[in-house]
Amino acid sequence: MKDTKSHPVGPTVPKALDADKVDSSQPGKKKNRGQSGPSIFSVLTPYKKPLFLLVLVALSINGLALVLPKIISHAIDDFAVGQFNAQSVSWLFIGVISAVFVLTYLQGILQTIASERVGRDLRQALSEKISRQSYAKIQEVTPAKLLTNLTSDIDSVKMFVAQAIVSIVASIVTILGASVLLLSINWRLALAVLTILPIIGGVFFFVLSRVRKLFVQTREVIDWLNKVINESILGASLIRVLNSKQPEFSKFVQASTRSKELGFDILKMFATLIPIVTFVANMATVVILALGGHFVIAGSMSLGDFAAFNSYLSTLIFPIFVIGFMSNVIAQASASYGRISSVLAVKEQPEAGTLDTKLLGNIDLKNVSVIYNDKYALRDVSFSVKAGSKTAIIGPTAGGKTQLLYLLTGLIDPQQGIVEYDGRAIADYKPSNLRSQVGVVFQDSILFYLSIRENISFSEKVTEADLQLAIKSAELTDFINELPEGLDTIISERGTSLSGGQKQRIMLARALALNPRVLLLDDFTARVDSQTELKILKNIESNYPECTLISVTQKISSVEKYDQIILLMEGEVVASGTHMALMDSSPEYNQIFDSQQSTQSYE
Amino acid sequence: MNEYTLNTNEEPKRKGSILSAVRRLKPLLVSETVQIILAALAIVINSTLTLLGPVIIGHVIDTYIATRDFNGVLLYTGILTAMYCVGFVASYAQTRIMGGVSLRVLYRLRNSIFEKLQDLPVAFFQQNKAGDLISRINNDTDKLGQFFSQSIMQFIGNIFIIIGSAIAILLINFKLGLAALVPAALLLFLSKVLGPWIKRKNAINMKSVGGMSAEIQESLDHFKVVVAFDRRDYFRKSFQRTNEDNYHSAVRAGIANNTFTPVYGFASNLALLIVILYGFNLISASTFTFGLLISFLSYIYRLYDPLRQMAALWTTFQVALAGWDRIHAILQMNSNITILTDTEGVSRLHDKSHPEAVMEFSNVSFTYATDVTVLDKTNFVLDRGKTYALVGPTGGGKTTTASLMARLYDPVEGMVLLNGRDLRTFSAEERAENIGFILQEPFLFSGTVGDNIRYGNPKFATVDNTKLTEVLEQKDLQVVINKFDKGLDTIIENGGDSMSLGQKQLIAFMRALMRAPKLLILDEATANIDTVTEQLLEDILRKLPPETTKVIIAHRLNTIADADTIFFVNSGSIIEAGSMQKAVDLLMHGKRKS
Repeated sequence: MKDTKSHPVGPTVPKALDADKVDSSQPGKKKNRGQSGPSIFSVLTPYKKPLFLLVLVALSINGLALVLPKIISHAIDDFAVGQFNAQSVSWLFIGVISAVFVLTYLQGILQTIASERVGRDLRQALSEKISRQSYAKIQEVTPAKLLTNLTSDIDSVKMFVAQAIVSIVASIVTILGASVLLLSINWRLALAVLTILPIIGGVFFFVLSRVRKLFVQTREVIDWLNKVINESILGASLIRVLNSKQPEFSKFVQASTRSKELGFDILKMFATLIPIVTFVANMATVVILALGGHFVIAGSMSLGDFAAFNSYLSTLIFPIFVIGFMSNVIAQASASYGRISSVLAVKEQPEAGTLDTKLLGNIDLKNVSVIYNDKYALRDVSFSVKAGSKTAIIGPTAGGKTQLLYLLTGLIDPQQGIVEYDGRAIADYKPSNLRSQVGVVFQDSILFYLSIRENISFSEKVTEADLQLAIKSAELTDFINELPEGLDTIISERGTSLSGGQKQRIMLARALALNPRVLLLDDFTARVDSQTELKILKNIESNYPECTLISVTQKISSVEKYDQIILLMEGEVVASGTHMALMDSSPEYNQIFDSQQSTQSYE
Repeated sequence: MNEYTLNTNEEPKRKGSILSAVRRLKPLLVSETVQIILAALAIVINSTLTLLGPVIIGHVIDTYIATRDFNGVLLYTGILTAMYCVGFVASYAQTRIMGGVSLRVLYRLRNSIFEKLQDLPVAFFQQNKAGDLISRINNDTDKLGQFFSQSIMQFIGNIFIIIGSAIAILLINFKLGLAALVPAALLLFLSKVLGPWIKRKNAINMKSVGGMSAEIQESLDHFKVVVAFDRRDYFRKSFQRTNEDNYHSAVRAGIANNTFTPVYGFASNLALLIVILYGFNLISASTFTFGLLISFLSYIYRLYDPLRQMAALWTTFQVALAGWDRIHAILQMNSNITILTDTEGVSRLHDKSHPEAVMEFSNVSFTYATDVTVLDKTNFVLDRGKTYALVGPTGGGKTTTASLMARLYDPVEGMVLLNGRDLRTFSAEERAENIGFILQEPFLFSGTVGDNIRYGNPKFATVDNTKLTEVLEQKDLQVVINKFDKGLDTIIENGGDSMSLGQKQLIAFMRALMRAPKLLILDEATANIDTVTEQLLEDILRKLPPETTKVIIAHRLNTIADADTIFFVNSGSIIEAGSMQKAVDLLMHGKRKS
């Protein structure tokens, strides 16, 4: 219900820009981010089996890798005493390296499949979540962010699964193994060495907790970049007419620079983290050298043990470096996963309505108010429309006409009041039922990169007969017949290949193909000439006789004979009635009428 | 005519060797030469210290601990500590410098792609999906960045180590060395063969990522229709399809990317076996010793360990190349809307041209990429200060004519002249200064109404709201701005998705008039504005300086009634209709095409 109300104010300054400022106030604003959300490791839960297999394979590779030096040293020993059997050693060796080859290949395949599955399933979950959101919610979250969620954010998580898991598990196993060995050789020295683990752990924790915020910000900059690029493409014609390449470029550079700066902030962290880890580990070897040297000199440790201790020490330290490198991947993935989870955690619109009845077409608005950006877009609007009648909504630009249409379509919900179809609130209806009976033609051209046929039969319930009737009624027959590929012509990117009127009529056909009980037109007449408009309206009357029509329009001449005309100004119903009644009673209506005296459309 | 289509099904031309591929990346790195040298220095120091550490420790054990000389031990712990401190600095410098190089390369690359996009004509954006372009700028550049930050130095460093070790083993024993290098040679050959395959798999995957991004972008931008037509499942299904496609292409690319690692591992292990067997053979023949074999083996490790790492690096390199190809495809495009020098063509039509006219169409023909002729050898003249109307059925070519006037496209044939000069000889600035064009589909940028009015207008770019309000008042536009509840500060979100078309048209109207163009084209500029407000706008238009030439495309008669001349645009021709009545007759009875 609060969707429309909670539109963020001031996205002018891209969110990423104020990210610095937001830091302190984050927890209150976006809980998911402040509380760091679910752990990145929780993403792995459903993939336990393949991941277990993956880890098993990785560990066996490590194990086999240890066997090879043994074979070689045995071979040398055997050769030295003249017992070398070239054939058996070769076969053994080749057997082991073939096994390593196969297992390594298998590991690669398993890693790929596991990470891509995680990516695919997360995308699927996200897209299903998005598809169930309200229009207002999508606008609030912004398409730019959702695009990043579905692309870059998922990529980070994928990278984590592909690279980090095996390395981390293998590293931990190695560290544990080496620790045990070290402890068994000399527990005092070993304890001295193992003190570096909590130190390094502390450093990791410190850096990672800081870097996560930075990674979240880098994702927000990607949202920002997405938006700038997208707007520069949608506004391509305008930019060329105004020769505003330079301002566009500056906008982009601003975002791109921010991205670079954040990159440097993160780089500084990791450029410090890695040497610190290395240094601490190296210092451990120095301490061991001094301390162990002391033990050996004092006679409490044998020289052989000391040599062995030293060689195992490098086995302990190497995996620590690996984890250091992986921490980058982990931090990035956990930032991205936090963003994804926050979308997945969004409450779903309750679609409780169950009414599955056929509509008659009676519509009632009772004291409806819509607040938009802290201002009444519609205030206390009430009116009734009888089934099968024709109603026009007329009024100045920005008077709330389009909002009214969105209400009737259920795209937005009113803050106050109720919208009823046949005496029942919109919310009582099963959305699919309502939407298959209410056809709407938006004023802005929204066509998909699909064939004309697919665009018109966009709703799945459309039959071939519905399609043909809709095409005929929208006066599209000639146009489509002239196209070399007819109905199968693809409407290219954003319908740029079509004229305004053609797009408008395809959109009308899309609504008519539903066989709608209620047809909502938003300024349909603006782009279609009067002659065609007249024909189309006649077609609708004869082909869809029971259809209730509500038409938002500027033009009185085409709606003079309508059953009801509602005059909407500044969000309020100023007057309503038939044309004649309004001419008698409403000065505002008269003013509009007068302004159109010479305003017939040609053709 | 689809010269700007990026995603063709043609295989990209395969250009030569690895070297030429490296060379293609070179321009990105030229300005970073000093940084790269510094990083290389840091790497050399760092790896030398890393290698020295164990040697020194061994020395200490052998000479001091074994002889129970604790002072010697302490001395060397001091030396080691100093060494590791230097290592600390070198390691920091290495990561920091190369990371910086990568970030700057990425930054420049993204900026130059975006800049290139701004240079390309409108036709480019009709042939390529927004989501795919976004993916190229954001994702594909990232692949290059990863290569630069993580791999390039390792790549170069490893090559040196490999070559050095190869020379060493050849010096120890030439025959054995050669034998040990056989697997490495095989790898080199295999890499050359498999490299392009890996690159291709990744290119296919990136294309699929671009397609997915385009799909998401479209669905989200059209979410209103998705909801209103109860096709939430459309979003799900179409996305599921691309997601599934992407999954398959990504798995294929991933498997390709993971091929080198086991192969390289196998080859290096094989080399060990060869050395042992052949080495024993040589020892039996008394041409080799045990001691030499042991040190030989250690060099083999030193040769093949970096080679093993090269597997991963080589893959990253192929992925980066695939990304670079997609980026390069944009960067190498050239706009066909170029600025001609003054002399060409102008004289060609001189005898026929009307130098006093603001605009002239001389034998102009135009065809879109679809090969449908929209204009066929059209001729007309627009005189200064007059008002013209373009009428005709929808789809008849009015918007195309207007677009040619503003040079969104160039005619296929003939010439458009502005002030008696070929329009193509005007710089973009001059053109924008002279011609104002209110587009049929107004576009707003996220920001405020004020931002949008100022947008692209150098005169007002830095002017604050108070000043801007004054200017608006002077131009009688105050009444228009008052239509917005928060005036200039009214917020515009998501490219104006929250505004009605009528409101967008009001802003576009103000934006165009603030520029005071000599030629003002209004393409259905007021179609969705209520008639009372429209009258206001007409009054404002009438008060424009008398030398302003207006071209109006509209359906409403009163908008056209003021016109001095009416042109009828249909089926490729533009003819003067004479009177309004004649125009109406033409429309009613003329050949209809729509």
